[in-house]
Amino acid sequence: MKFLQNRINSLWKMALVIILTFLLFLPSFLSLGNISLVIEMLILAVAACGLNLLMGYGGMVSFGPAGLYAIGAYTTALLIVKGKVVFSLAIIAGPIAAAIIGLLIGWFCVRLTHIYFALLTLAFSQIIHMIIFQWYSFTGGDNGIVNIRVPESLAPINNYYYFTLALTIICLAILRIIGQSSFGKALQAIRENPERAEFIGINVRRYQLAAFVISSFFLGVAGSLYCGFNRNVFPVYAHWVKGADIIVVCLLGGMYNFWGPLLGSILYVIFDKLTVSFTEYWPLVLGMIVVFLVLFMRGGVAGFLSAKYSALSLSKSEMKK
Amino acid sequence: MILLEAQGISKTFGGLKAVDKVDLLIEEKEISSIIGPNGAGKTTLFNLLTGKLKCDAGKIIFAGEDITELPTREICRRGLGRSFQRINIFPGLSAFENVQIAVLAQQKKTKNIFSPAPQSVVNKTNEILESVGLIDKRYILGGLLSHGDQKRLELGIALATRPKLLMLDEPTAGMSPEETEKTTELIFKLAREQGLTLLFIEHDMSVVFSISDKIRVMHQGRIIAQGKPEEVKANNEVQRIYLGEEV
Repeated sequence: MKFLQNRINSLWKMALVIILTFLLFLPSFLSLGNISLVIEMLILAVAACGLNLLMGYGGMVSFGPAGLYAIGAYTTALLIVKGKVVFSLAIIAGPIAAAIIGLLIGWFCVRLTHIYFALLTLAFSQIIHMIIFQWYSFTGGDNGIVNIRVPESLAPINNYYYFTLALTIICLAILRIIGQSSFGKALQAIRENPERAEFIGINVRRYQLAAFVISSFFLGVAGSLYCGFNRNVFPVYAHWVKGADIIVVCLLGGMYNFWGPLLGSILYVIFDKLTVSFTEYWPLVLGMIVVFLVLFMRGGVAGFLSAKYSALSLSKSEMKK
Repeated sequence: MILLEAQGISKTFGGLKAVDKVDLLIEEKEISSIIGPNGAGKTTLFNLLTGKLKCDAGKIIFAGEDITELPTREICRRGLGRSFQRINIFPGLSAFENVQIAVLAQQKKTKNIFSPAPQSVVNKTNEILESVGLIDKRYILGGLLSHGDQKRLELGIALATRPKLLMLDEPTAGMSPEETEKTTELIFKLAREQGLTLLFIEHDMSVVFSISDKIRVMHQGRIIAQGKPEEVKANNEVQRIYLGEEV
């Protein structure tokens, strides 16, 4: 048994090394267009994994991730264009701003549960959208903010790819550590049974708020990264449709698995591009995917796979303890 | 020494006096039970003592401190643990994780955002699972355990909070006679070993009379009799309420 465990662990490590090497050499055999797609995947993965801390671990379904994503993107954009702040500072400020706004919004939202929580997050997200959309003098309204300058070193797509890859790995590693931590366990307990969590001495609301803020931070990272990638920001970043994309990515990959949202973002971007090449009705395809997931694959692709190999994963968890 | 004191606590639902001016004195290391017909107010009394419901009137003092207005989690942290009549566990987590989270909360480690549960917590968790007889089933999801095992898991979670006073609401409800006997022995053993003060609600009279130092009888929101098992057995009013039951 132990022998098998060690085999599986070493297989995992080998797979990880192979994937990382593969990602490092990706620009040498992919076209620039495809590298852009991979960048989009990585950024979407950061956003989805960030949201998943709230949704999958904490059990709080938020309909408003787009608002916080846009706060990250617009903070970075405005600081560079209006504040003449250097890129490196602006990209750090984005997530911090998102976390601060997340604290304000979260303070109200964690007072509610289930559908009321979801609707309040949606309402705040739409407020952010309206502010960005209407405040022409500051945010440029529906013209957005265009021609955001990034440093020379990040201007080539391949360089930005490496920058995004590095940040994505760091973010996912941090989120993974948080998910595995005692705090992460407390979040899962709250998801499973908030009343019981109170009865073992956990301050449920405070933990929910902390999860909301951390999740906002990583949504902000994704927004800031996207701002640097696209070099334009538009109000649609805050629109609920963008939020729905991030939620669908979590659903597609699987909410109850750490790697689910990462898998989801890869599949999502591939689906998106594949369907666009032969139909303009991507939302129709997306709708069908959602129906299929909800009816037949609640655990998403990752949930489906891990159920298939549950014998292995169960013994794996046995190893850890 | 007196561990818990309730002074005239009351709770009204609509027009119904669920708990009516109840006084309660619980001595340290005492094993006592509350019995009474359905709807007597037993569970409501538990909910008042553990802060799940707020008292309309009266005062609750636990270990010398007024806890009447404290939220549940604060009451729990002061050493008042409970289990529930209806199974109340973390169904999507393994039995191990169910107990572990309670150990983490008790040791105030749930704020550790970048570090996993330390080995000491893992050991403590295994120790508790061992004592409630779930060590072999620790990787099974709580929600998939049998009813009896879920009840034992519930007990494990409550024990993990390291209570001074452990309140069990029908710990053997829905169990087979053999399971009931095993569980009763287990509870009694744990209470004695760990020097716990135990207060439990129970319908199974054999359980009540076999392990209680003291029995309290509730009827229509009031405590109408209390004392040693034999005293309660001899009480006329109790006999009248329990007519037909083997008291």
